[in-house]
Amino acid sequence: MRINSVYIVDDDTITIFGLRKLLAKYSADLVVEEFRNGRLAFDSILSLLENNIPLPEVIFLDINMPVMDGWAFLDEFLKLPNTAGVHIKIITSSIDIRDREKWQTYVKKTGHQIDFITKPIYELNLEDVTHNMDLAS
Amino acid sequence: MLKAIETYALSYLAQQLPQPTAFINTSFELVCASQSWLDYFEFTPHEIEGKQILAFFDEHGKGHWENCLENCLTGEKEFGIQNTVSSVGKEQWFEWTNVPWYDEQENIIGVIIQIKDITKRLENELKYEKLENLLKDQSEIAKVGTWEYNIGSDSLFWSDMTKKIHEVPLDFEPNMDRAINFYEQGHSRNTIAMLAHNGIHRGESWSQKLKLITEKGREKWVIAAGKPLYKNGEVTRLIGTFQDITQQVEQQKKTKENEQLLRTLVDNLPLNLYIKDAESRKVLVNKAECQYLGVESPQELIGQSDFDLYDENIAQISRDEDLQVMKTKKPMIGKRTISIKKDGVSTSFLTSKIPLLNLEGECKGLIGISMDISEIIQKENQLSDLINVTAIQNKKLINFAHIVSHNLRSHTANFSMLVDFLAKEEQENEKERILEMLAKASDNLMDTLENLNEVVDISTNVNLEKKSLNLNEQINRVQENLTAFLHQNKVVLDNKISDKVYVKAVPAYLESIILNLLTNAVKYQNPQRNPKITLTTEKKGDQIIFRIEDNGLGIDMEKYGKKLFGMYKTFHNNSDARGIGLYITKNQIEAMGGSIIVCSEVNKGSTFSVYFKDEN
Repeated sequence: MRINSVYIVDDDTITIFGLRKLLAKYSADLVVEEFRNGRLAFDSILSLLENNIPLPEVIFLDINMPVMDGWAFLDEFLKLPNTAGVHIKIITSSIDIRDREKWQTYVKKTGHQIDFITKPIYELNLEDVTHNMDLAS
Repeated sequence: MLKAIETYALSYLAQQLPQPTAFINTSFELVCASQSWLDYFEFTPHEIEGKQILAFFDEHGKGHWENCLENCLTGEKEFGIQNTVSSVGKEQWFEWTNVPWYDEQENIIGVIIQIKDITKRLENELKYEKLENLLKDQSEIAKVGTWEYNIGSDSLFWSDMTKKIHEVPLDFEPNMDRAINFYEQGHSRNTIAMLAHNGIHRGESWSQKLKLITEKGREKWVIAAGKPLYKNGEVTRLIGTFQDITQQVEQQKKTKENEQLLRTLVDNLPLNLYIKDAESRKVLVNKAECQYLGVESPQELIGQSDFDLYDENIAQISRDEDLQVMKTKKPMIGKRTISIKKDGVSTSFLTSKIPLLNLEGECKGLIGISMDISEIIQKENQLSDLINVTAIQNKKLINFAHIVSHNLRSHTANFSMLVDFLAKEEQENEKERILEMLAKASDNLMDTLENLNEVVDISTNVNLEKKSLNLNEQINRVQENLTAFLHQNKVVLDNKISDKVYVKAVPAYLESIILNLLTNAVKYQNPQRNPKITLTTEKKGDQIIFRIEDNGLGIDMEKYGKKLFGMYKTFHNNSDARGIGLYITKNQIEAMGGSIIVCSEVNKGSTFSVYFKDEN
C-alpha cells in the first residue's frame, strides 16, 4: 500500500522545508498539509472525522510550538475514535532525556504507533508505515 | 490482878507504838497489836485479838511463818520482805523483823513482830534503776558523755561515753592537762583552756562547739559544756557533758555543699530555669531567668505569675500548659514556645515543664526549663531562604540548559540538514533555495544567541545598583519612543499614577519592563475593540505595586498560567511572538528583588502586577 496524505505540525519553516523536500523524493503525488501549531492540526482532524474523510496516514509532530504544543496535541488526538491507523512521528531537536521519557510513557500507555526522531533528518524511511498498513489491510 | 494490869498496861502501850508491831504468845495467838499494825493490815481489834496469827496466811505463808516463829521461840531473830494487797487493790511491800519476847526473867514468852512499809522505797529504787538505764541508753544514742572535775583534789572523772568519744580504753585515767590537750591545737585548745579557767576562777558556765583529735588521731566535732558547782559559796567542782556531733557537722557540711553545688549549677546553666507553685507563681528563678526578665535579684520575681510578666495571650497559653502538666503529671518536653514580654520583646524558646511532686505524690508545682533559640530560628529562616533562592536558581539553570540544548541544537540540526541537501542537490534553482534557507537559519541562530546573552546578562548582574526613580518619568520616556506604534494602534493610555510615586529600580531594567509590558498589551489586542491600557500603583506594606491593565485577548490562565513567563513560550497565533519578552521581564524584576504576577480572562483582558521592593 501507499501513503496518500501526511500532516506536518511544526512552527519552524526550515524543518518544514526539509520534510517537504524529503517527502517529495518519496512520492511526487503525496498530499502534504502543514500546520503552525497543534491546535490548527487538531481542528483540521476534527473536521475530517466529521465529514468522514480519511485521516492522513502519517503526522510529523514538533514538540515546542505556540498555542498547543506537541504533547497537548497528543493528549487530545489520542482521545479521538478511529485514529489507530495514524502513524505519529515526533520530530524534535531536543536531546533532553525528559522528552524521551515522556514519549515512552505515551507509547506504553496507549500502544499507539508513535516514533521519536531526533533532528537532524537526512532522509525519511516510511517503509515501517506502509508495512503496518499492509498488515492492517 | 497484877497480870491483868500488866496486860492492860502492855496493851495500852503497844497500841501507841508508832511502828506497826504485834505481840504473839507461844501458841502464836495475837496478844496485842499497835494501832498502826491494825491499820496497815486493815483489822479491827475484835477481829483478831486472841486469834491464831497463822490463820491469816495462806497455806504457803503459813508453813514459812510457823517455821520462822518457832525459831524465834528458841531465841533466833528473823527478817524478811513480803507483800500484801490492800482492800483497794494496792500492792504494798513491807519488811518484817521477828524477835523473841522476853519477860523480866529472860524467859521467852512469845514473839514480837515488827513491820516496816517499804513500798515507797522499792518504787524509788525501781525508778532510779530505770532512770539510770534510760540515761545510759540516751548517752549511747546521743553520744553524750559526762565528766566531773574536783578542783581541790585536781582529779578528773570521765564517763564511759566520754572515754569512747576520745577513743581511749575504759581504764584510761584522765587529768585536766591531758583532757585539754585532746583539743585541736589553735582555736579549739585555746578556747577550752580559757573556758575551764573562767569556770574555775569566775564560776562561768559554757557550751561550745570545738574540734578535738582522738587518741587514734581522728578529727571529731564535739559540744563541750561545763558548769561550776559551789560549796559554801566557793567553786569546788566542775561538771559537764560532752557530745560527739561529728556526724551532724559532717552532714550539715555535706548538705551545704550539695546546696552550693545545686545553686551554682542552677545559676550558671545557660538556660532559664524556674520553679512555679500550683498557682503558676514563681518560687525560684535562676540568674539567666532574672537577666531575661531584666531584674537584678530573684526576689523581684518570686511570687509573680506569667500574667505579671508577659503579654496576656502568651501568659494564658503558658498557664494552660502549666495546668495540663500539673493535672496529668506528665512532663512537657522540648516544646517550641514564644514569649512576649510586657515591653513587646519577643523571644523563641525551647521549653520543658516537669511536674514537681511532693512526698505524697501530689503535684504542687512544676520546674520549667527554657532555652533561648531565637538565634537558631533566625539561622533556620536564613537557611530556608537560602535553600529557596538556591532552588529557584537551580530551576532557572535547568530551564536555561533545556533552552540551550533545544534551541541551539535546533539551529545546528537545521544547518546540518540543509548542508546535506546542498551537497546532494544537482538542480541549480533548488540549490539557491537551500542557500536562502541556510541564510535564514543563520539569522535565527544569531537572534537566539542575542536573546540568551541578554538573559545571562540579567542573571549575572544581580548586584546592579538600584536607584530611586520617578515612575511617571520612566513611563513618559517609553511612551515617547512608542508614539508612532501607539498612534497606529489607536491606543488609549490612561495613566492614573501620581507624579510623586518613586520606585527603587535599575534604570535600564525599569525601562525595558515598561516597554515590554506596554507593547505586549498592544500586540495582543482584541481585534473587536481599540486597545485601552490603564496604569495604576498601590502601596502595600513595604512594596509598591505597579499595574498595567489591558482589554486585549486575555490568556487562558488554566492552560498557560504556569508557562507564561517561561522562555520561548508563546500562546497566541501571532507571528510577532518571540517567547522571550516576558521571560526577560520576569528575570529583570527578580534580579531587583521584586516579583510579577498576572490576572487574565480570555477575551476580557490581562492585568500584570509588578511588585517593587521599597527598602529604606
